Amino acid sequence: MSLELLDIHKHFGPVRANDGITITVQEGSLHGLLGENGAGKSTLMKVLSGFHSADSGRIVLDGREIKLANPDDAIEAGIGMLHQDPLVFLPFSVIDNFVLGSPGSARLDRKKAARELSELCERYGFNISPDTPARLLTVGERQQLEIIRLLWLGARVLILDEPTTGISADQRAKLFETLKALATEGMSVIFVSHKLEEVADLCERVTVMTRGKVVGEAELPVPPEQLVEMMFGQSIEIHDRDSVPLGTSHLAFDSVRTATGLLSEEPISLDVQSGEVIGIAGMEGSGQDAFLRLCCGMRTPKEGTVSIGGKDMTGKHYRDYLAADVKYLPAGRLEEGLIEGLTITEHFVLTGEKQSFFVDWNAARERAVEQIEHYTIKGTEASTAESLSGGNQQRVLLAMLPPELTVLLMEHPTRGLDIESADWVWEQLLARRQQGTSILFASADLDELLRYSDRILVFFSGRVIGELDANNTNVEEIGMLIGGRRAPSSGSVSS
Amino acid sequence: MLSKRLIQMLAVLLAFALVAAACGDSSSDTTATTTGGGGTTTTTDGGTATTATTTPSTDPFKMGILLVGPEFDQGYSQAHFEGAEWAMDQIGGELISLDFINPADNPGLTPEAVAKDMIDQGAQMVVFNSDDMRDGAFAAAEQNPETPMVWVSGDSAWADGRAYRADLTNLSNVWGQMTFGKMIAGCAAGLTTQTGKLGYLGPLTNDETRRLVNSAYLGAQYCYENYRGLDASDLEFAVTYIGFWFEIPGVTLDATQVVNDLIDGGADVMLSGIDTTQALVRSGQRADGGEALWAVPYDFEDACQEAPSICLGVPYFNWGPAYVDLANSVIDGSFTATWEWLPPDWADINNVNTSTIGYIKGDGLSSENGAFLDQFIAGLGDGSINLYAGPLNWQDGSSFLGDGETATDIQIWYSEQCLEGIEGVCDLG
Amino acid sequence: MTSNRLLYALIPAGVVVVAAFGLLLAAGTNGFEPIKLIVEGSIGWPPFEEGTSSKVGDTVMVWVPIALASAGLIVTFNAGMWNIGIEGQIIMGAIFAAFVAREVSVSRPLLIALIILAGAVGGMLWGLLVGVLRTAGGVNEIFGGLGLDFVAASITTYLIIDPWSRTGVASTSGTDPFPDEALLPSLEGTRLSPLAIVITLVAIAGIWLLFRGTLYGLKLKAVGRNRPSSFLMGIPTNRYLLGAFVICGALAGIAGTSQAIGFHFRLIPAISGNYGFLAILVVLLARFRAFWVIPISFFFAMIAVGSSQLQLRLDVNSALGGVLQGTLVLSAMFGLGWAAHRFRKQAEAGAEST
Repeated sequence: MSLELLDIHKHFGPVRANDGITITVQEGSLHGLLGENGAGKSTLMKVLSGFHSADSGRIVLDGREIKLANPDDAIEAGIGMLHQDPLVFLPFSVIDNFVLGSPGSARLDRKKAARELSELCERYGFNISPDTPARLLTVGERQQLEIIRLLWLGARVLILDEPTTGISADQRAKLFETLKALATEGMSVIFVSHKLEEVADLCERVTVMTRGKVVGEAELPVPPEQLVEMMFGQSIEIHDRDSVPLGTSHLAFDSVRTATGLLSEEPISLDVQSGEVIGIAGMEGSGQDAFLRLCCGMRTPKEGTVSIGGKDMTGKHYRDYLAADVKYLPAGRLEEGLIEGLTITEHFVLTGEKQSFFVDWNAARERAVEQIEHYTIKGTEASTAESLSGGNQQRVLLAMLPPELTVLLMEHPTRGLDIESADWVWEQLLARRQQGTSILFASADLDELLRYSDRILVFFSGRVIGELDANNTNVEEIGMLIGGRRAPSSGSVSS
Repeated sequence: MLSKRLIQMLAVLLAFALVAAACGDSSSDTTATTTGGGGTTTTTDGGTATTATTTPSTDPFKMGILLVGPEFDQGYSQAHFEGAEWAMDQIGGELISLDFINPADNPGLTPEAVAKDMIDQGAQMVVFNSDDMRDGAFAAAEQNPETPMVWVSGDSAWADGRAYRADLTNLSNVWGQMTFGKMIAGCAAGLTTQTGKLGYLGPLTNDETRRLVNSAYLGAQYCYENYRGLDASDLEFAVTYIGFWFEIPGVTLDATQVVNDLIDGGADVMLSGIDTTQALVRSGQRADGGEALWAVPYDFEDACQEAPSICLGVPYFNWGPAYVDLANSVIDGSFTATWEWLPPDWADINNVNTSTIGYIKGDGLSSENGAFLDQFIAGLGDGSINLYAGPLNWQDGSSFLGDGETATDIQIWYSEQCLEGIEGVCDLG
Repeated sequence: MTSNRLLYALIPAGVVVVAAFGLLLAAGTNGFEPIKLIVEGSIGWPPFEEGTSSKVGDTVMVWVPIALASAGLIVTFNAGMWNIGIEGQIIMGAIFAAFVAREVSVSRPLLIALIILAGAVGGMLWGLLVGVLRTAGGVNEIFGGLGLDFVAASITTYLIIDPWSRTGVASTSGTDPFPDEALLPSLEGTRLSPLAIVITLVAIAGIWLLFRGTLYGLKLKAVGRNRPSSFLMGIPTNRYLLGAFVICGALAGIAGTSQAIGFHFRLIPAISGNYGFLAILVVLLARFRAFWVIPISFFFAMIAVGSSQLQLRLDVNSALGGVLQGTLVLSAMFGLGWAAHRFRKQAEAGAEST
């Protein structure tokens, strides 16, 4: 199916999210849509998948103009959208999710659907059992489920919005393989991303968007610098980090073990010095989350001691850790970080240093404006948290950190951010490091882990399977460990 | 911020104001209409049930009545409603009524406010039909000293009574001598019981309800002994009070459950003291299931119709004559605050024109027992049977009436306890 | 912006008016008459005419508990809690107030102050119990609240039938009236108590200020909207949840006090008048804004007091008042939702995300 988007306009109040976009996608092609946060990619795709209706412009599918009033129309026309967060109902089983939203749902032939699900899984090499509860699926598997569901519903154009956020490297490879196979079958794939490498790896053609307009198109491959220039106007240099002299012990684990579940088998001992950056690698759900929560008092160890700055903090409350300048920023920025419905100003008031019973809103707003400027947040002091893009949410979270920090714990500090924002985040983090803050961060991005860590802890199946010196390791070694294989040097191979 | 909020508020208020203003024009042509079922403002004249759609040229007498329960409850409130309708029928007056006047159903409504509304609508006499409206009746009488009012069942106008309010010169009391009705009911039960055990479904405990329980007990004992030749001391009589005149879910006991418990405890005749018909209905259901059960409802003359075959009859109030007298006293200016405890018309207790208390026999009463019952009624009427005669003891064993002593009105009215021999707690306080 | 906001208010109002008239016409009335009667029956026609002071007093004293309970519910709703237990908190307030009113004899101003304080404490404790069940026992506040509503109602019935029964009478109709010194001072010949009005308005203004100008209110809001985020910010979330129940319970308790010593003048089983549940609707309609509570709860009070007129004057059952009220709530919800939907579409401006 060939697809043409002709002069699409979509305005939200004064914001021109899409300002005359024209894109042509050939049948059976892998088409990249590249652009930084807020470029208008998601809006365009929501128009294409019927979630928004365009103010003006036409959508032509196989030479025939189509009107999309809602997502059902889109899927009817053969356009399927895979969202950044797959629309999976966690309490339901895989097969229930699969048949949900199927047309003519008055009579569900679950047996037939299950058989077709299995066939599709086999065809694309997915390993999803129909009766598994959806909550047990990884994000990658949820994507797989959603893809075959869309195929089953008859999608001939598949839109993927930032699909690689939150999935493992293995799953990403699997996803790309699948997409390539689909393209050879004649499926048109639109791959929305801000990651240069991924687009370069996967796509045959790319359209670059900035501020609601198309700023460039290219047949791939082209040199990455050229794409970066289209996106940012100039290529970005990667700075080498300064080495920071390590100091006193900031965070120490002495044979720490939890009572049940992850991290309950092998005790962990660890000493993190001031100014040290510890990268935490591993497949999602391998124990990184439990580890970080042990570091900040949100979980209590069954055995062993946790010390902050040399002081025994075992069994203390999270707020005591907070008072000891330990701060934890989980991955879900809107779930465990910011508060939907509250403005940037209100966030700063909540976390401000000076807290008085009556709030001086004028002063608070002034301070928020300063912070917004200082942290180059795209938004106003009255913007609510959920109205900000991911990168700007991360900026607000960093702006909310207290000035003094002993230990900063972060999950996926740059997930979903464009290069510019990601670099900015690390600039901030490295500046903290210069002040002596110890940073522990979990990431699925091996380059990020290698680039910024002093040491890397690799988690596998609820324990620490390896501790690596970041200067003396490489992607392959980490990758092996993440997959559960001990480094060849250690000689042991675990299942 | 504030000004915007004010604008929003004004917008809504404006909307309502527009609505309200638009209604203003149509205010003058309120019409009173009647319907067969739900009509509440009824105009009738000369006893013919015509539909009156025009205002009569001469203002008819208007009577207001506040009903504690639903106006079609097959019980207490319906008896009042129909009595009042009948009375207005007789004198060509008009009735204004409002039911459900109790704080559970209408939390924002007070009897005095309703009374005021009725007076504003032209009511020349206001009747409060429940003992429960005492405070409201007092307040209304104080606030509208020119309007004659009647508090049904009270003792505020009884110079010998304990709650005498000499200051309330516009508030009368009226009540029927249901003690006789209950004696007859008890007699029918005593004549019929096979198990020798009677159950009484009580409302709340106060002097009045104890008085009625005692009367039923005395009637049952008399007939059990004198007509059946059995030993009255063998007759068991159990009473359970639900806590209010009618069942309020979650507040009172479940009346149906109480009936079940009494039957399961061996009683085969249920006497009802509450305003609604659970005793008859539940007994009827179980009788349909093969059990030998009977029941005596209360209050309302057609009450038997919910389970006629097991109904031994019903002692009922016929409020019409009392309301006619009261209305006439208002019309001719002779109304004064009086306390009336009206007896049955012994010549014919079911005479609709004269008897405040009646008893209609039910299909469940055998003809033989019917004859005994007539004998008993005649005995009560000619004074040859006086059941409130000593020796009688209270439930706690203390003496109520000595040997040869007969009770005065005061003694019967203020029944502090149930009588000895009655099972059940008669003073929950 | 202002015209948008005006529209935002007018859409729901329009929907409400259309729905109300539809219902009243369907019920066989001419549409206007019932509304006029409700107005007349609650505040007089023309409003506040001479001689209607007793009615106005009743309506205002129905308004007081609804408005107080609504003010309290704004706090719990902002903290993310469905305080269904508000009924029980009103009842407990009334019970505590009744206890002091019956048992204590001191000078009148002191007595009134003590009664109100006791009522507030009673409601507060009952609210706190819901909160503790929720935070320490993990009992959902809806179930805990419903259970405690039932317990409170049962305690009232028990007290009325047994220890506090009228002399010689055990009726669930109520206790003996409280002594005159224990009643809220009111205007001659009416129930209208200026003190109750002042307390209510102060409470509403206080709730407004709480969320408008204080850090405590902001933190409550944060906890209500996102507990994990608030916890990570270092806000003691459980303490704030309990705080919300305490504030709401205290206001509900005062509402119950007003019912006991300002309206019924005694303790009755239905002392809450279901005003707690009504207040939930008020708050939803007011969209959690304190000042909107004033007119909306007054409107509900007018229906509660005035709808008996429908039966007295028109050939319709007074239950129509309840049906009308339900229709108004539902249609207002629908109108609000519709307006919100319209405006959300326009407001998606800044919400562009990757």
